[in-house]
Amino acid sequence: MTLNFQQVFDRIKQIGLGAQARQKSLDALRKDARALLEAWADKGAELRAKLERARQADSNLRCALPLDEHLDASHPAVAIKSTLTLLAADGSQILPDRHAALHYSLVNVGAIAMQPGSGQPPEVFTDSSLLFADELYTETGMVSEEAIEQRRDIAERKKLLELAPDYPAPVLALTDGPVELWGAKNSGEDDYRKNLEIHKSVLSQLQAKGVIVAGYVDKPGADLVIRTLEIARFASDDEYKNIRKIHPLRGVSDPWLFSFLPGGHRSAVFGLQSSSRAHYTGDLALHFFYLNVGELKHPSLVRVEFPKWVAEDANKLDLLHAALLQQCRVMGARPYPYILHRAHEIAVVKFEEKKQIEQMLDLELRKSGSEVDQESNKQSAKNLKGRSRN
Amino acid sequence: MNTIQIGYLLKAGTTGFVVGCSVSQLEAPAFGALVRAPLDKDYSVYGLIYDIHIEDDGLVRQLVTAGNISAEVMHDNRERRIVPVEMSVLAVGYAQGGKISHLLPPRPPLSLDVITLCSDAELVKFTSAGKFGYFRHVLQAKDIPIGELLAAHIQQASTAHKDKAWAEKAAQELITLLRDDYPLLMSVLGALGEVS
Repeated sequence: MTLNFQQVFDRIKQIGLGAQARQKSLDALRKDARALLEAWADKGAELRAKLERARQADSNLRCALPLDEHLDASHPAVAIKSTLTLLAADGSQILPDRHAALHYSLVNVGAIAMQPGSGQPPEVFTDSSLLFADELYTETGMVSEEAIEQRRDIAERKKLLELAPDYPAPVLALTDGPVELWGAKNSGEDDYRKNLEIHKSVLSQLQAKGVIVAGYVDKPGADLVIRTLEIARFASDDEYKNIRKIHPLRGVSDPWLFSFLPGGHRSAVFGLQSSSRAHYTGDLALHFFYLNVGELKHPSLVRVEFPKWVAEDANKLDLLHAALLQQCRVMGARPYPYILHRAHEIAVVKFEEKKQIEQMLDLELRKSGSEVDQESNKQSAKNLKGRSRN
Repeated sequence: MNTIQIGYLLKAGTTGFVVGCSVSQLEAPAFGALVRAPLDKDYSVYGLIYDIHIEDDGLVRQLVTAGNISAEVMHDNRERRIVPVEMSVLAVGYAQGGKISHLLPPRPPLSLDVITLCSDAELVKFTSAGKFGYFRHVLQAKDIPIGELLAAHIQQASTAHKDKAWAEKAAQELITLLRDDYPLLMSVLGALGEVS
């Protein structure tokens, strides 16, 4: 037996005993949050001033910036009249494993182009980039997990940039997750800056081609509007000083807050306040809205992120809104854009494919007389029959 | 000779093999068709298609429940997604050095061997060799629709022979082989009755 089930069971019982109290407390917080949303709905200017003060107190502040709309605005989708090209790209990666016999990495990008209403089969693309030997090292050591992930994110956007001119406008280019390049924390600062510049350059080129760029965040975890409402209540200097410690609405989520949106409706557009705001400036400044891709009775809230050039163009915003809904409806009761799912399906590297790559690489190295290492003894022990791989 | 490639071998044994192809390749093969796995210049394995099946997956199940499937999504699933059509083939003989045998093949085809549909000339050559020895493999097979398979095969072979006499001889041979198995004989004759 690998678990002490008695300990786990006791803890689960305790959790169950506290459930009612927690739910009661959460309901009270939710009531507060909804009241705050209504109270501050038309006080955008005042709220922006508070948020600016909060940003000065905490440069890493991550929240929603209200624009000119009411905070609780709700917009239905507009019917798409023009033909539209949908592009989606997704990536997967094999990270270098120091316990494996072969040290290599792979970035795989899958992309798909689809023209709804054309009756034509979509086109699919795959780009696979194998990194080996010196390519696995930077000036500071072995390439980090985050650096590989950034490389994957950039490869996704580059693929969209490469494909966009081949299709009739308007073109909507989708990726899964936020638009901003994620995770500078652990990767080398230089690497991040280099990747960030490439990322911004690709975004600008997509803008020049008139492409509607968006990132789709399913089950969003960043409670950006809730954080804004928490700051809205700040009244004293102390609160601004201790901003990082003050989370009076913790537990209430943005998806719950916007669950009042009827099915297919989107929220107001918000600006994204985050530490990366300094990098994504001008037309690249990131914005988002929440969208209920479910129904009023069974809401399913997602966050859609896009740059300013999309946010400020009502036609592009309408196309994005309507196209996402249409794509989600293809998937029925578990709405998610069909084209993004397909991009993921194309991009994902299966376990058997990974094994094939390793066999091919091993064979080639042995044929050419190169030294091939062994997997670590630890890994070998883990692989013994009767044990799980974990 | 023109050959129509119908797919690649997925798995094989002495008594049969499974062929995979994409949905776009599905027009050529039919239930009961004679196919060939050319292993090398002098050695081919022959088989009859006894089952064609299309596996579902999670996405297809979800799409079905959504309804209103657009033409693009339908094309995407049929032509672009890696969801192979699988054809189960019963081994019925082989050719070695130009000579056809209705015995089981000495060794099965290998993974990813190309499987081709037999032309009418090949079908005539295979079915004219010997005295319907390959019927034995069909009649002994488990869990396959024996009567339907024989009826489909005899219909296709009869068309290739352009001669009713071959079909009559085939039926006579089946009656002889099944003289001690009345239920199966009735099932086979019932299916053959649908053909004639």
